Amino acid sequence: MATNMYRVGDYVYVEATTPNSPFLIRRIEELNKNQTGNVEAKVMCFYRRRDLPNPLVQLADKHQPALDEDRTSPTQTSGGAGSATGNSGSNSSGGANNNSSSTASGGAGGAGTGGDAEKGEALTSKQRYQIKQRELFLSRQVESIPATQIRGKCSVTLLNETESLQSYLNKDDTFFYCLVFDPNQKTLLADKGEIRVGSRYQCDIPAKLKDTATDERKLEELESLVWTPEHSLTDRKIDQFLVVSRSIGTFARALDCSSSVKQPSLHMSAAAASRDITLFHAMNILHKHEYSIEESMSSLVPSTGPVLCRDEIEDWSASEANLFEEALDKYGKDFNDIRQDFLPWKTLKQIIEYYYMWKTTDRYVQQKRVKAVEAELKLKQVYIPQYNNNGKGNGAAVKASGGIYNGTTNGSTDLSNNGKPCESCGATKSSQWNSVSSGHSTCRLCQSCWEYWRKYGSMKSATKGDGGDSEAKKKASAAATTPTATSAGVGAATTPTTVVDLNDDEKISDLTNRQLHRCSIVNCGKEFKLKTHLARHYAQAHGIAISSGSPRPIMKTRTAFYLHTNPMTRVARAICRSIVKPKKAARQSAYAINALLVKQEFTNRISGKSQAEIKKLLLLKPKDRGSVTKIANRLGAPGSGPHEWLILTPKDKMPLPLVVSFPKPPKAPDGSLMYDRVPNKSPDVVAVPADKELTIIPTQATSTIRKRAHEEQQLNGTEVTIVPSGPPAKRPNKDPMPSHCPSPEQFAAMMAASGQPLSRHHLNGKQKIAQMARGGNGRKQVISWMDAPDDVYFRANDTHKKTRKILSAVDLRRAARKPWRTLPIKTAAPEPSSRPIESQIVILD
Amino acid sequence: MQSHSKKRVCYYYDSDIGNYYYGQGHPMKPHRIRMTHNLLLNYGLYRKMEIYRPHKATADEMTKFHSDEYVRFLRSIRPDNMSEYNKQMQRFNVGEDCPVFDGLYEFCQLSAGGSVAAAVKLNKQASEICINWGGGLHHAKKSEASGFCYVNDIVLGILELLKYHQRVLYIDIDVHHGDGVEEAFYTTDRVMTVSFHKYGEYFPGTGDLRDIGAGKGKYYAVNIPLRDGMDDDAYESIFVPIISKVMETFQPAAVVLQCGADSLTGDRLGCFNLTVKGHGKCVEFVKKYNLPFLMVGGGGYTIRNVSRCWTYETSVALAVEIANELPYNDYFEYFGPDFKLHISPSNMTNQNTSEYLEKIKNRLFENLRMLPHAPGVQIQTIPEDAINDESDDEDKVDKDDRLPQSDKDKRIVPENEYSDSEDEGEGGRRDNRTYKGQRKRPRLDKDTNSNKASSETSSEIKDEKDKGDGADGEESTASNTNSTSNNNSNNKSDNDTGATANAGSGSGSGSGTGAKGAKENNI
Repeated sequence: MATNMYRVGDYVYVEATTPNSPFLIRRIEELNKNQTGNVEAKVMCFYRRRDLPNPLVQLADKHQPALDEDRTSPTQTSGGAGSATGNSGSNSSGGANNNSSSTASGGAGGAGTGGDAEKGEALTSKQRYQIKQRELFLSRQVESIPATQIRGKCSVTLLNETESLQSYLNKDDTFFYCLVFDPNQKTLLADKGEIRVGSRYQCDIPAKLKDTATDERKLEELESLVWTPEHSLTDRKIDQFLVVSRSIGTFARALDCSSSVKQPSLHMSAAAASRDITLFHAMNILHKHEYSIEESMSSLVPSTGPVLCRDEIEDWSASEANLFEEALDKYGKDFNDIRQDFLPWKTLKQIIEYYYMWKTTDRYVQQKRVKAVEAELKLKQVYIPQYNNNGKGNGAAVKASGGIYNGTTNGSTDLSNNGKPCESCGATKSSQWNSVSSGHSTCRLCQSCWEYWRKYGSMKSATKGDGGDSEAKKKASAAATTPTATSAGVGAATTPTTVVDLNDDEKISDLTNRQLHRCSIVNCGKEFKLKTHLARHYAQAHGIAISSGSPRPIMKTRTAFYLHTNPMTRVARAICRSIVKPKKAARQSAYAINALLVKQEFTNRISGKSQAEIKKLLLLKPKDRGSVTKIANRLGAPGSGPHEWLILTPKDKMPLPLVVSFPKPPKAPDGSLMYDRVPNKSPDVVAVPADKELTIIPTQATSTIRKRAHEEQQLNGTEVTIVPSGPPAKRPNKDPMPSHCPSPEQFAAMMAASGQPLSRHHLNGKQKIAQMARGGNGRKQVISWMDAPDDVYFRANDTHKKTRKILSAVDLRRAARKPWRTLPIKTAAPEPSSRPIESQIVILD
Repeated sequence: MQSHSKKRVCYYYDSDIGNYYYGQGHPMKPHRIRMTHNLLLNYGLYRKMEIYRPHKATADEMTKFHSDEYVRFLRSIRPDNMSEYNKQMQRFNVGEDCPVFDGLYEFCQLSAGGSVAAAVKLNKQASEICINWGGGLHHAKKSEASGFCYVNDIVLGILELLKYHQRVLYIDIDVHHGDGVEEAFYTTDRVMTVSFHKYGEYFPGTGDLRDIGAGKGKYYAVNIPLRDGMDDDAYESIFVPIISKVMETFQPAAVVLQCGADSLTGDRLGCFNLTVKGHGKCVEFVKKYNLPFLMVGGGGYTIRNVSRCWTYETSVALAVEIANELPYNDYFEYFGPDFKLHISPSNMTNQNTSEYLEKIKNRLFENLRMLPHAPGVQIQTIPEDAINDESDDEDKVDKDDRLPQSDKDKRIVPENEYSDSEDEGEGGRRDNRTYKGQRKRPRLDKDTNSNKASSETSSEIKDEKDKGDGADGEESTASNTNSTSNNNSNNKSDNDTGATANAGSGSGSGSGTGAKGAKENNI
C-alpha cells in the first residue's frame, strides 16, 4: 500500500517515452486531476550521466573525481608509476587524461584492490563505475506526465561530504546529485550559493564597552511601554474590567444610531462590542490610568458619552463592503488599485485590515468554494497500482515462456536465450529476456540485469556493451577536443561525435517541448503552467469562466456541433437505402446502422458508375403531391358536408392511453400548471423588445439592480436585433469572449434575447455552479449548466447586419438551412467577404 | 520574587505592523504578527509580560550594518516612484521576491526598531527574555535585500548586544539558511551563527556544512544542512546535542534565536514536518541556559500555523501553560476546522536518516573542537605538530628571491572567489553567484536560471573545495597563510577537505579555472 502511494515530493522512476530505454528519474512537484479524471504529475527532471552532452560528461567527471580521487589518492601514487604506460596507451587518442576513466583504468590495471587495504574508503573500479550510475544531475526543468507512467520510487539526495559514496551503492534505488544541469544552456553548475567575504559584506563589530551605565541610549526613545505585569490587579479584576468595557461598548452601540441600523439586535451589538479592539482599548486604558479600575472605568464613560471602539469590519458601511467585494472580484488582492478605483476615501491600511477581517466572514465562503474546487484537483498523493511490465510498453521484451522468440513455438522452451548468456551477468537462465540497445549494438539481458539497467541506465559492471559505448563516447569527444590527435584518430572519431551530438539535441528538444497554457485573449497571451491557473486568470483578468479541468461542470456546457453531409454520404444514403433504412432509423433512435456494411455496399455499387450517374443520384426527385390549394379546395368542397371524422369526440368518450408518457405537471396553488422551464428555447422572433416577456422568466433578475442599475435601464430601453442566421443559429453565449467584449448594451440585449436572466456573475467573473432564477410562479428553479447555451455563438456587427438586409428572405432561410454554403452577396458591402459568418465563430474551451 | 523558570519577558509590537502588505500573491504576510498578538491577548498571555511599542529605527541605526546608499534607497523608494529607481532596484535586489510596497520603509523601521530596542533592553539587564515577532528578517544583506527581507534587524540587534556581551550566539531554526546574519558575522569570533536549514536546491543556496566562517571567524559559522521531512524527534536529536556543544565550547553571553515558523509542517514554502511543540522545544531548550535571550520571528507562510507557533513560544518564554483549545478572537475562523493550538505532523517521509544526522553531527563536533576553548583565553590552542610545514616555507623563502611555484599557486584565487580588486566592475562580482537568479518563492515559469549564458562552461563549475580557506581575500597575505595553516591542521583530522583544496589549486592550475582566475592583488 505504502509503496504504491505516491506523494508530492517523492522521487520516482518514470517510463521513458521511447520504448526500451532506462527509466527517467523525476521528482513529483504536483499531482493534478485533469478533466477526464486522470492524474497528471508535474515532475522535476533529473538527468543521468548518459543523458548529458559529451563535454559536460567530461566536466562532471572532472568534478566528480574531486570526490573520488582524494579517496583513492594512495592508489594513484602507488600504482600511478607502474601503470603509466598502460595509461598513456589508453589515452593515446586524447590528451584529457584528467578524467576518472583514466583513473579507473589505471586502478584496474595496476593497483587493483591494493588501495582498499590502505584506506577503507577506496573504491574498486567496478564500484566507481557503479557510483557513476548513481550520480544524477538536477535540472530545474519541470514537465508534465501522466501518473500512470510512474514505475516505482527511488530516492535522490544532495550528496553530503560526510557521506561515503559506497553508502549509496549499498542501498537500492538511491541516487545522489551534486551538480545542476541546464538543458537549455547545456551547462553544469554547482548547486550552491556563497557567503561573500569583504568589507562590503561584513559588518563592523563594535568593541565591547566596559560599563553598562555608559550607554548613551535612552530606552524611552526606543520604546514606549503599553502594558506591564507589575501591578496590583488580580487576573480576576482584569477580567471583570474587560467585561465592563464590553458592556459599555454594547450600550454605546445602542445609543449610536448608525450602529443600531447595522446591528438591529442586542446580540449583534454585544458581539461587536466583544471584538478584540475593545479589549485592547480596555487594556490600554488600564495602563494609562496606572491600573486603577476606578479611574479607567470613568474614562470609559466620559461626559461625551460612552466610548465606542470600532474596528474596520464594523466601521465600514454595507455599500462600502459591497464596493470592496466588487473590487476584489475585479482586481484580485491588489489593494492599491482597489483603493484608487473603488475606495479612495479609505487608507490602504484600513483596506488591508478590513480584508483580513472580511476573510473570517461568510461572505468569503463563496470565494473559498472556488478555491476548494481547485484544491480538490490538486492531489496530495495518488495510489498507482504495481505496474505489470510484461508485454506492453516494451516491445522488445520477449517472454521466454511464450517462445515467440526466433519462432520457437513449442511452449516448453527452456528459459534460455538460445544458449547465449546474459550480456551483463552471464546468466543463462531467466524468466524473460530483454534486448537493450546501447549505442550501435543491441544485446540481450536477463530479467534481473534488465531491471537493473532500467533503473540505473547501465549494466552492473563495465563490459563491452554499455561501458564500451561510453568509453567510445569519451574517446570520440576527447579526440574532437584535442587538435594534436593523429589524423587517423580524427577521421575515425568525428563521425561518432556528430551522431552523438544529434542524439543529444534530440533529447533536449524532447525536453523543451513542454506544454504551456496560453491565454487565448488577444493582447494578453499570458502563459500558465497549469490549466487551473489559466482558468483563474480568465476569471480574474477577463471576467470569463472556463472549465478549470474539473470533471464536475463548473461552466461546462454542451458541445456544439453540426453534421455536414458531403455529397458522397448523400449518395451512399441513396444507394444503400435498403441497409440504412432511414425511415426506421428516424423512428427508432436506438436503431443501429451498420456503417461497415453500408460502406462495403457503397463501394461495391459505386465502382462502375460514372461521374454523371453519381450526379444524377444526388438529385432528389420532388414527389408530386399536388398543390396545397387543390387539397384545400377539395376539403372545403361544397356539398360533401362535414365529414364524420371531423366531428370531435366528446371528452369523456376519448379512449384512455395505456401509458401516459407525459403526465400533466402538478398544479400550483393558484391552479396553474407548473411546467418545467425549457431553458434553451431561443426566440424565433426576429426582433425582441427586451421588456416584452417571451419566456417564463419575468423581468430581469432583481439582484442586478443593486450593482448594475445603469445596465438595467439600457436593457429595458434598447431594442436590438438578433438575427438567427448564418451558421447554425447560435444563441449569444452567456460568457462572451472578451476578445470582442460586447458593450453592456449589447450584452444585456443578448441576455434578453436568450431568455436568460442577466445575472451579476457574468460580469465580474465569479463562478457559480448553477444559477437561481425565479420562475413565473415564484418558485425557484435551478438551471443546470448542462442546459446552458452552446459554446459557440455568433456576434453580428454592423457589417453583418447590413449584409443581412441585402439578402432576401429566401436567401437567409437557405443560409440557415445550409450554413456551409457560400452566401451570394452581390452588392459591394463595406467589407465584402464571401464568408462573413465563419470568421466570427468563437469556440470556447 | 521570581521563580527560576519565571522570567521577565518583554514583548515588542506595533499595532500597525499587521497592515503592511507585500502584494498580491506574495507569501510573506505581516498580518501573521497581528494574529499572534490577538491570540496572546485572548490567551491572557498579554497581561503577563511587558508590552512595548518599539520606536521606528532611524536611518542612522540601520547604517550600523547596512550601507548608507542602501538605506537611503530604501527610504526613498515608493511604489509610485519605482520607475526612477530601476537601476538601483536591480542593484539592491528589490523587485521580485522583495517587492516595493506601500510603507516598506516604515515596516523595516518597526521590525528593526523592535529588535534594537529589545537588545538595548537586554544590555541594560532590564529584562531576561525579549520577543520581537516582527523581526527575524535574516536574509537581508549589507547592501542588498533578499528573500523578503530588507533590513536585517537581527544583525542590528546583535551589534547592539555586542556592546556589552563578549560573545553572542545566534541560532536560526527557520527552514531557510540564515545567510544574511552568517555573512555579516562571517569573519568574527565574537558571534557564532548556528543555522538549521533545508539544504539542496533551496533558497538561498548557502549553508553548506563546509561553510564554517573565514579569517578570525573560522569555525564560528555552524551550518546544519538538512533534507526534506524533518520531524520533531529528528530535529531534537540534532538540535540538542549541537546547541549543547556550542554552548559548552563557545560560552556565549547572550543568545538570539530566530524562530522562523516555516519549518513547521504544512508550510507554504517549507518542507519540514515539525509541529508547534517540536518547534517550541527549541525555544525551551535555549531558554534553559538562562542567558539574556532575544527571540525574533522570521519566515512562516501558512499564517494560521505561524500565529499558533509564536503564541505557543511566547507561552514557553513566559513558562505559562496554555490550553490547546484556542480562545475566541477576531481571527478565530482562520483556525478551523479544529480550532486547536497544536497541529499534527503529516505523513511525509523524513529523508534525514539518523545515520545522516549522526554523520553531520560528528563533523560539526570536529569543527567545534577547533574552537579555542575556555572563555577569555584568546590564544590559539592548536597543537604544534598540526602546523603544516607547507605554509611555513613562505617565511623561510628569501623575500628577494622568486617565489617557488608552489607558493605562487597558493595565491591564485579561483575565479569564483572573492577578491577586492578594483579591476572588477560593479556587477562582475555578483554575477558569479550561482544563486543570483534564484528566488525564495517557487516561480511559476522557471526560466531565470537558464538566462545566464556562458561561453565557457568549464568556468561554471564551482570548485567548492577551494572556498573554505581561499575565501578570505580581504586579509593580508600573512593572515592568509596563517589561516591556511589552521586549516591544514584541521585537515589532518578530517582527512580530506583542505588537502584537496591545496592540491587542487596547486596541481589544477593547468585546468581552466585556476589559470583564468589568477589575480595578482595578493602579492
